[in-house]
Parts: sequence; structure tokens; C-alpha cells
Amino acid sequence: MSETQKQRVKMLQNMIGFFRASLNPWVIRVKFKENPERVAFILHRVSGAIIAFYLLAHIIVTSYTDDPLAWERILNTLSSPWNKVGEWILATAIIYHGLNGIRLLLVEFFGVGIGRPELPKPPYIPPSFKGGQRKALYAVFILSIIGSILSAVLIFTGKLPI
Amino acid sequence: MVKESTWSIIQYITAILLILFLGFHLIERIPGLSPLQAATYEESLEYEKVSRAYDSYGWVLATLLVIGLFHGLNGLRGMLLEWKPEARTVINIVILVVFIVFAFVGFTTIYNHLAG
Repeated sequence: MSETQKQRVKMLQNMIGFFRASLNPWVIRVKFKENPERVAFILHRVSGAIIAFYLLAHIIVTSYTDDPLAWERILNTLSSPWNKVGEWILATAIIYHGLNGIRLLLVEFFGVGIGRPELPKPPYIPPSFKGGQRKALYAVFILSIIGSILSAVLIFTGKLPI
Repeated sequence: MVKESTWSIIQYITAILLILFLGFHLIERIPGLSPLQAATYEESLEYEKVSRAYDSYGWVLATLLVIGLFHGLNGLRGMLLEWKPEARTVINIVILVVFIVFAFVGFTTIYNHLAG
């Protein structure tokens, strides 16, 4: 491997690049219109990390359900407004991760909505950009926003208006 | 040695199962739909309702624990491997230990409820 190639590999493996590419939704260098799949990928990772860390905390917290008094104390602590905001962020992350996960299952696991291979005649637009998966992606964003609003109503008022 | 492609397929299968099991777990919190017959979101979290959930469908919670932990930790493992590919062995061991410890804590909670 030449020196230039080694430098390139090092650059690709650097930590800042990793966080920019996969974990930081605020440092998106591409416009949403040009590459919504990348936005979806970053949001999927961020929401996945939030849910995974919450799951570990959830397992610890629910281990106190053996004792009614301890559980009561935990519920009192968790009923503060800031914890409700945390619950709402978590609910939004679960809704988005679940809906985008269904899209990814259809696209990656079952091969649905990615179109058929075609000759690359200019101006070439990949079939996957014209297939149903991109419409499904916009549907995921819209449904996630609706789900997030409904979860906020449920968490902050205790009931759904239905 | 399990191939990475096999882990990936298991990740997809656990995702399908999670849609069903986690979906059910979330419906428990929605008034009107909750099998716990809770009138409000807060009521679904009360001790009596939570205890009834363990007694009525502890197996659902046990299955959810295993597939949720696997899916979540395998996802984190994938991110960590992209960040530090040279630390594969360490990452795999840490993730396995975390899985065993948290599965043990979760199963102990479920067992304590079922044992009364």
C-alpha cells in the first residue's frame, strides 16, 4: 500500500469523520432533497443508539417492580416534566426507528421498491431513486411526525383524543 | 465462529419479531387499547397493572427481553466495529458480557414476579 493510500485509509478511519458520518444529525453535509436516504440512515443510527441505551436503563429500573414502595418512589421521580420530555423523545425515536426499520426490511431483506437494473444511459438516475422505496421514505418521515405528535399528547395528557 | 452475514440475518429476523412484541408492549400504555385496561397512560404504569402484566404474559416480556437486547446490542456492536475495526475481539467480548448481565437481571425480575 502506497503512502497516499495509507493516509487515505487513516483519514477514513478517523473518529471525527465517523461521528459526522453516522451519529451527528446536525452535521449533515448534504441537502435533504438530494439525499434523503442519508438523513434517514443518520436518524436511524441516532434513534437506535437512544433506544439501546434506554433499554439497558429500563431493565435496571423495572428490576424494582418486585417492591411496591420502591416502584412508587421511581414513578414519582419519573413523573417530573423533564422526564416526560425524555419519554417523548424516546417514543419519537421508537416510532421513527420502527417505521424506518420496516422500510429497510422491505428494501434490504425482501428487495421491495428498489426497481430493476437498467442500462446507465445519461442522465443516469439509479432505479432505486425512482422506485417505491423513496416514496416509502417520505411516508416514514410524515408518519413519524404524526406518531411523535400523538405520543406527546398521550405522555403529557395521559390520554389520546380518540 | 458465526459469520457477520449470519449476524445480519438474525438482526433482520429480530427486527421483524420486535415489531410484533414491542408493538404489543407499547399498546399496553395506550388507554382503550391496553390489555391491562388502564384508563390513563400513568395508570398503566401502576404497580398492580405492571404486576398483572408479568403474571398474564411474562413469556412475552421474556421474549422481548432477549430479542430486544440482541437487536440493540448487535446494533451498537456494528457501530463500534465501524469506529474501531481493530478492536473487534474486545468489542465482541464487552457486548457479550453486557448481554449476559442484563439478560440475567431481566430474567431475575420476571422470575421473582412469577414466583410471587
